[in-house]
Amino acid sequence: MLPDSLLIFIVLAPGIAALLGLFHKVIGDRILMLATTGTVLTAGALSLFQLFAYVAGLGHVGAPAAHAAVDAYLTAGAAHGTQELKQHIITLMPWIEVGSFKANWAIRVDALSIVMMAVITGVSGLVHLYSWGYMSEEPHKSRFFAYLSLFTFMMLMLVVADNFIQLFFGWEGVGLASYLLIGFWYTKKAPNDASIKAFVTNRVGDFGLALGIMAVFFVFGSVEFGPVLDAIRTNAIVTPVAFAEAAPAREAVIMFLGHRVYALELIGILLFIGAMGKSAQFFLHVWLPDAMEGPTPVSALIHAATMVTAGVYLVCLVSPIYEYTFYASGMIALVGAVTALYAATVGMAQNDIKRVIAYSTCSQLGYMFFAAGIGAYEAAMFHLFTHAFFKALLFLGAGSVIHGMHHEQDMRRMGGLAKFMPLTYAAMMIGTIAIIGLGIPHTKFGFSGFFSKDAILESTFAAGTAEVMFGQMAFWFGLLAAFLTSFYSWRLIYMTFHGPMTSHGEHHDHGHHDTHESEDVKGEEHPADDHAHAHTPHESPLAMLIPLGLLSLGAVFAGFYFYDAFVEANNEAFWAGAIYRSPENTILHDRHYVPEWVLWAPLVVTVAGFVLASMTYFFNRGVGARIAASGGPLHALFSNKWYFDEIYQATLVRGSAFLGNIFWKADKKIIDGAGPDGMAWLAGFSARRLAKLHTGYLYHYAFVIIGAAIVFGAILWLRAGGAN
Amino acid sequence: MGGFPILTAMTFLPLIGALLIVLVRAATAGSRAAADDGRQNRAILMASLIISAATFVLSVAAFLSFDATQPGYQLVEQHAWYGPISYKLGIDGLSISLILLTTFLTPICLLASWNSINKRVTEYVVAFLVLETFMIGVFTALDLVLFYIFFEAGLIPMFLIIGIWGGKDRIYASFKFFLYTLIGSLLLLVAAIYMIQAAGSADFEVLEQYAFDPGIQTWLWLAFLASFAVKLPMWPVHTWLPDAHVQAPTAGSVVLAGVLLKMGGYGMLRFSLPMFPDASAYFQPMMFALAVVAIIYTSLVAWRQTDMKKLIAYSSVAHMGFVTLGIFAFNETGIQGAIFQMLSHGLISGALFLIVGVVYDRMHTREIAAYGGLVGRMPIYAGFFMLFTMANVGLPGTSGFVGEILTMVGGFQAATWAAFGAAFGVIFSAVYMLTLYRRTVFGEITNPHLEDIKDMNRIEWACIAPLAALTILFGIAPNLIFAVTSGATGRIIALMAGGQ
Repeated sequence: MLPDSLLIFIVLAPGIAALLGLFHKVIGDRILMLATTGTVLTAGALSLFQLFAYVAGLGHVGAPAAHAAVDAYLTAGAAHGTQELKQHIITLMPWIEVGSFKANWAIRVDALSIVMMAVITGVSGLVHLYSWGYMSEEPHKSRFFAYLSLFTFMMLMLVVADNFIQLFFGWEGVGLASYLLIGFWYTKKAPNDASIKAFVTNRVGDFGLALGIMAVFFVFGSVEFGPVLDAIRTNAIVTPVAFAEAAPAREAVIMFLGHRVYALELIGILLFIGAMGKSAQFFLHVWLPDAMEGPTPVSALIHAATMVTAGVYLVCLVSPIYEYTFYASGMIALVGAVTALYAATVGMAQNDIKRVIAYSTCSQLGYMFFAAGIGAYEAAMFHLFTHAFFKALLFLGAGSVIHGMHHEQDMRRMGGLAKFMPLTYAAMMIGTIAIIGLGIPHTKFGFSGFFSKDAILESTFAAGTAEVMFGQMAFWFGLLAAFLTSFYSWRLIYMTFHGPMTSHGEHHDHGHHDTHESEDVKGEEHPADDHAHAHTPHESPLAMLIPLGLLSLGAVFAGFYFYDAFVEANNEAFWAGAIYRSPENTILHDRHYVPEWVLWAPLVVTVAGFVLASMTYFFNRGVGARIAASGGPLHALFSNKWYFDEIYQATLVRGSAFLGNIFWKADKKIIDGAGPDGMAWLAGFSARRLAKLHTGYLYHYAFVIIGAAIVFGAILWLRAGGAN
Repeated sequence: MGGFPILTAMTFLPLIGALLIVLVRAATAGSRAAADDGRQNRAILMASLIISAATFVLSVAAFLSFDATQPGYQLVEQHAWYGPISYKLGIDGLSISLILLTTFLTPICLLASWNSINKRVTEYVVAFLVLETFMIGVFTALDLVLFYIFFEAGLIPMFLIIGIWGGKDRIYASFKFFLYTLIGSLLLLVAAIYMIQAAGSADFEVLEQYAFDPGIQTWLWLAFLASFAVKLPMWPVHTWLPDAHVQAPTAGSVVLAGVLLKMGGYGMLRFSLPMFPDASAYFQPMMFALAVVAIIYTSLVAWRQTDMKKLIAYSSVAHMGFVTLGIFAFNETGIQGAIFQMLSHGLISGALFLIVGVVYDRMHTREIAAYGGLVGRMPIYAGFFMLFTMANVGLPGTSGFVGEILTMVGGFQAATWAAFGAAFGVIFSAVYMLTLYRRTVFGEITNPHLEDIKDMNRIEWACIAPLAALTILFGIAPNLIFAVTSGATGRIIALMAGGQ
């Protein structure tokens, strides 16, 4: 395996490169770009080498060498049944240590983090490279590259954490980077709104995640993955810190908000709320489409390949928890299935090329979640892995189109681009075929999406048969979403690359989603206008095409190459306990016994989606637009994203603002009114009243004196015995 | 005892320095023409800076001779005074960390006044130095009467700082501040007199061991709360704070948010918990409820503010809610978290007020609407502002996170609903801080006066950069603080357990 020093380099170097951004005035744009890109590409090469070496070490199916090979990488921990957790932890330095609340800065290497490191640094390196071309006209390059590297660092810190607190550090850190990059063009309203929306929506999720971490500490007395997850694996007796009774970890009960609840269910649900925010799942998905206001390389890296998958990673990482929950894992399956279908319906009706892909991401994340929810964590991770390649490819391809079209994002103004940018077209075709999961059942002929998506659908069907909560539903939703995925993906291809060119020569009219990089703060003259080719679409420069090429390789072959290791015969050796399945959970095995039609169904719906898209957007070009224009209620619902933004605006945002105003008034009127201002008024008031008594008329005083004498005399007389 | 009385020296050095400044000023006033006012003002400020810097050095020396592994009071100096009252100073991990915060912030405050204070400079620095003595005194005093004197006396210079060098509604604000705190303190005085009578001594160590009758504890506890709740401030006695902050000069706000508010938390940890453990336990739910209300209520109010300083002032109230939550969790995580949160908030809110001061000095308005697009002209300022925005939001890696998460973890163990309610602060803080940042720093420049606004000058750098460095340092290595405060925390918990 990689020596510790190189592992530390992979994780920390991007952070140090990002810090160089503080000195960009001194070192200049070019050196900073070289430093960040070079660092992350090196880290990417190392991480990919690590992944390939790790997989290669597994040998062939069932080879006895497999376990030994893994041992060479990771040290064995305590054995739990058949699964042995193997990991390697480098402790960098202690972070927080208060009583038993301990969190270190650490680098945890196990199968999960090896996969994630490869995905993050691999895609990030390519995105850095791509940005040399895409952002070439941008005046603030240093800032952009520094943010990209900062993101990479934070994401790495997230996946190599050995405790919940460092995970939270990375979790919020990627949120910060995402916020900064969405709002990169800070003079404009839309990116600013979108960046705040992203951060705040994520914070709603973090509300759950933070409470989940508190509950973990409460139950297990630790926030380190090792002790916490081991306790569940071995069902050790735990004694929640305060008032609950000792119990085996899986059955522990705690009081939460006055209710007795199963600790694992509570923790599972709270952690999943965090995952929902980060991974843009139904209810908390609203920020992701708006995040497309950021530069396209950012969308590819953060909002497609890496950050948004952090939620899936978290769920897989704490798989021991979800293995022993009923409601929490059911919730994951339900939310995932609904998201997969929901986002696909909305994706069908969008005209902004990036928004289509954004909803597609949302939908694919839904697949990963319902896979994890029904217990097929390996399949979820596999889809995360393959999805990173083809979705980054699609986004970078879209970026290439936007770049070539001089910042046009509306697909209605595109068309016929295939002949202007053939390489981009090829890349987008590969990405599309990969995402729709084209492949031939029973064989290993297929693009990467085929392997992972079919593994998910088969597992889900098997889970449905085994009556896992929401398994059946997830399967049907997933199948339907696969049909829609195929439809909107081909729709995108046809609208963009085929048919007549609709915008040629009239693209001055920038669309409302135009995020024109060069229209920066000072509103200076657009440098591209000086170029001769300013008005014709053009193929992108090499810096952008190379990443497209490399990602295409991944989109084609990643599924085929890693199938065995992730979800097939070698999967136990590969995961080496990093993902835990209870002895009863045999879904990955059961999926081989699903009926024949389940294997063919995804292919059938995919072809059906292709045919439908071809009928409406290729052969009868215009039909789709006419259907959309006819304005059916369903289309309105889809194109308005089911009115989520409007509903949230009307309830949550307005409601909080209303409360805020009320409270503010209460401060002035009620608290100050009854408090200092009221006292002051009362003092003044009584003083004025008392002053009025001083009339100066003798008979007033005499009257008061006599009256007082009578009253006091009466009192004395009564107290002395009164009439008797 | 014996040896150099370092605590006395540290406490009274600023006061003596202030006297010297007055004397020198009086001696030179006649001899020199008033034409050279500017230079003289600089000289006075420089003198006060040197004095406060020397105080900081003394406090570091005290810290170095302090043994963090010992839980009890150290470097104790005691002289009989009158009957049960003695002049007794000493420090533990709790007080030395707050003293260091005080002595660290005071020179920064004086430096921040370099260009912004031009009238009555002598009186200004004297007020500040006297205030510093009283603030340090509050944290070093180990005698109830002595504590009370320092605690109350601190009101006067602060009252003057707001009332003389403040904004246009400074009179209303300073009287509101004074009335609120005074009413609280009167109740404290009554309780203190009773306690000294009952225990026969005003010595903290005696009072800590004295078991007050649980029925009496309730009243004493409430009387102390009246004072500490106003200082902290807790909802609903927080309304003096926004007014005071808005009217106070920048340095006044820094010291108010940075140190004065911490006296409330300090008092709870020093008195309420160890001396009235039964009452503290009895009132725990009420305190949690007030903490949660403070966090949610003031966060929402902060969001609706149009004045930058008011927004940060309300945010302070919300952040002090976490302190209350942590203290009344009665466990190690909660109390350590609360102490940490106090220190961290001292740095972050102090820095945020300085950040507001930077643009206020240039534009003479705190209206958020007057700004926008600052990043185009003041990139360095925008960077610092972003850092402290994120720290205030509680981003992990900054000190703001550590205090928040630990107080919530501690609170969760005591009452899940309290942590649940407090966690809403996680969401709302992002809302108001990001909105503030976006409206002032991002966007287009719409106000023509901002066209040629200058980025931070060297003095502003010198004020803000150290706070930035510490915010990150304590965010990444908070154990530096926990190592100092753990002994005191353990002692407070032990005293509580002993009393019940």
